[in-house]
Amino acid sequence: MSHIEIDEQRCKACYLCIDECPKKLIKVGEKVNKLGAKPVEFCDPKGECLGCAMCATRCPDMAITKVFRG
Amino acid sequence: MTLTATKPEGKVLIKGNYAIANAAVIAGCECYFGYPITPQSEIGEFMSGKMQELKRAYVSSESELASINMVIGACSTGAKAMTSSSSCAVSLMQEALSYATAEELPVVLVSVMRGGPGLGNIYPSQGDYNQATIGGGNGDYKLIVLAPGNVQECIDLTYKAFYLAHKYKNPTMVLADGLLGQMMEPVTFGDYPYPEVDDSAWALTGAKGRGRRVIRSYAPSADDQCVFLNKLYAKYALIEEKEVMYDEYMTEDADLIVASFGSMSRNVKSAVKIAREKGLKVGAFRPITISPFPNKRLKELSCSAKKFLVTEINMGQMVRDVRLAVNGKVPVEFYGKGVGSMIDVEDLVDKIESLIEV
Amino acid sequence: MATQVFKVPDSIIKDMTYGFCPGCDHGVAIRLVAECLDELGLKENAITATSIGCSVCLYDYLDVDSVEAPHGRALAEATGIKRARPDKFVFTYQGDGDFASIGLGESTHAALRGENITAICINNTTYGMTGGQLGPTTLLGQVTTTSPTGRNVEYYGYPIRIAEHIALCEGTAYSARVSLDSVANIRKAKQAIKKAFEYQLKGLGFSFVEILSTCPTNWHMTPQKAHDRVRDDMMKVFVPGVYKDVLQKV
Ligand SMILES: Cc1ncc(C[n+]2csc(CCOP(=O)(O)OP(=O)(O)O)c2C)c(N)n1
Ligand code: SF4
Ligand code: SF4
Ligand code: SF4
Repeated sequence: MSHIEIDEQRCKACYLCIDECPKKLIKVGEKVNKLGAKPVEFCDPKGECLGCAMCATRCPDMAITKVFRG
Repeated sequence: MTLTATKPEGKVLIKGNYAIANAAVIAGCECYFGYPITPQSEIGEFMSGKMQELKRAYVSSESELASINMVIGACSTGAKAMTSSSSCAVSLMQEALSYATAEELPVVLVSVMRGGPGLGNIYPSQGDYNQATIGGGNGDYKLIVLAPGNVQECIDLTYKAFYLAHKYKNPTMVLADGLLGQMMEPVTFGDYPYPEVDDSAWALTGAKGRGRRVIRSYAPSADDQCVFLNKLYAKYALIEEKEVMYDEYMTEDADLIVASFGSMSRNVKSAVKIAREKGLKVGAFRPITISPFPNKRLKELSCSAKKFLVTEINMGQMVRDVRLAVNGKVPVEFYGKGVGSMIDVEDLVDKIESLIEV
Repeated sequence: MATQVFKVPDSIIKDMTYGFCPGCDHGVAIRLVAECLDELGLKENAITATSIGCSVCLYDYLDVDSVEAPHGRALAEATGIKRARPDKFVFTYQGDGDFASIGLGESTHAALRGENITAICINNTTYGMTGGQLGPTTLLGQVTTTSPTGRNVEYYGYPIRIAEHIALCEGTAYSARVSLDSVANIRKAKQAIKKAFEYQLKGLGFSFVEILSTCPTNWHMTPQKAHDRVRDDMMKVFVPGVYKDVLQKV
């Protein structure tokens, strides 16, 4: 199943990935990380992720560290 | 240039600039980068042909900013690399020299002084003593500066410059002047007399089979920077302990010691000889390393001598270092002229007589 | 079985965090450089001369040998490295101020000599590191801290089109301008960087990529709006494209 992994300590909360995801599977989380930012979370209860890596390609900080397809 | 053999046999008659260039080739200089300026253009001209003939690196650079930074790049790989220039153009290199000391790179720079300030003129001068020994770059740093007094020393000290630069990983300058650069004297080249320094522990070669290497000056934390500066200054102390060179002539019983550096010291020696014939107790002192300066030896000499005279072709630059070394123990007089030919022997003898009489 | 289609490149130092502001495209550009180093197997043979600007700490991000250059002199140092060790892969990563203002002489002459090295230049229309002053690529009308009423010709003259300028140099093998405003363009940007690297490997001469990038902090924009600005304003003046390609006769 396609999915992504997020390193929340690396996320700087620019939220570029949120706009980029065609399926709108990325959301602002509740926690605060060591950079003082509210990192994003991957929410895909219906298994919609395409594994397209649009989010990771856009992320400037490599906080989306892995994308799997299939 | 008529010199064809890289390592000519026996004695050859040669100009100072060519002597420096050929010595650099014999020393194994792998890269030369330069931009023309009188009175040292023969160095770059010689290198342009020789380095290509030997399939070594040569770039006719777009400016001295570029030349010195090309040397930094080449040195970061452990290569023996150099540039040569003069006065107003050495001014352009000050930022890079500060970087190179902080990055601990074996940069070799030959500076053949001309008249200043500004564009000045192309007549011989020693007006860049301060530029060489104090420098115009930012921060706490020092160069090693070697000042030849004749054409043979142009060769010997060019060899030494490559060795010391690599041994101490510190930018090293050969400070000559227009007179030395243009003067012809019989010399011998011989072989490069120093061992090759192993740079395998730090040179950039690509991070194959090891962690990456970073050569940088940027120190984000003040504490780290203090640690680094202490280390750098411990290195300078070691260089001062081990590498100071000077030349003395009849100083043992001298009441007056005449100090000079570079080509000016030639007339000083002649004047001292004449004064001795007249029964005057005078000697000559010449620092060969002007950075580090022979402070210790001058301090010792200030216990026996009653007075110092410093002669330079500038408005009084090395005299400051002599005063600091002597530290008020005996008077230090200055006798110089801004720019042009060296002070005449007769004038020097007159000056010596006037100082010993009183 | 799911296959992995994205990972942090091996040429990026493990577990580091960039010092860049949130949403700054410097981060994307460096990742693309790292991906190309990975794909061409260059990490262990590469030496970079770093520049002064927001990318000053490149050596903390890329896992390659590096030497720091004074502001604007990266291509002089890179020239020295390559001339001393022609078998090494040598590249620079510079801001537009570093490359095209204080360092324009070094950049132009490296291209004219056809130095077999690759330069990547980030065009964000400002001096980012020093707080967003007017730089060589600041657009006409653009407000910066030193053009408080916008860049006017009377006081500031015109911005430079870097990729076109470098393309005019005969020693240039490849000169392209790319943009990071969209994922599609990020993918194109990577192809350009890879091509520039390959041209060095083929020994064709100077290869250059200008990357239109963002500075959300000094533009006082969200990262999203900053990409709109790249598209709406920058790409009209700095048109993406290949301006020189010796193999394609462009
Ligand atoms: C000789 C010198 N002048 C000025 C500076 C200050 N300075 C540091 S970075 C910089 C501008 C960098 O701008 P750019 O190259 O466009 O890179 P960016 O920060 O935008 O990525 C300046 C002016 C310096 N370090 N050295
Ligand atoms: S793009 Fe990257 S840094 Fe920005 S919010 Fe998404 S995961 Fe975080
Ligand atoms: S891989 Fe594509 S679909 Fe999946 S989260 Fe990222 S952008 Fe969305
Ligand atoms: S100042 Fe601008 S260019 Fe520099 S890191 Fe911040 S956003 Fe990026």
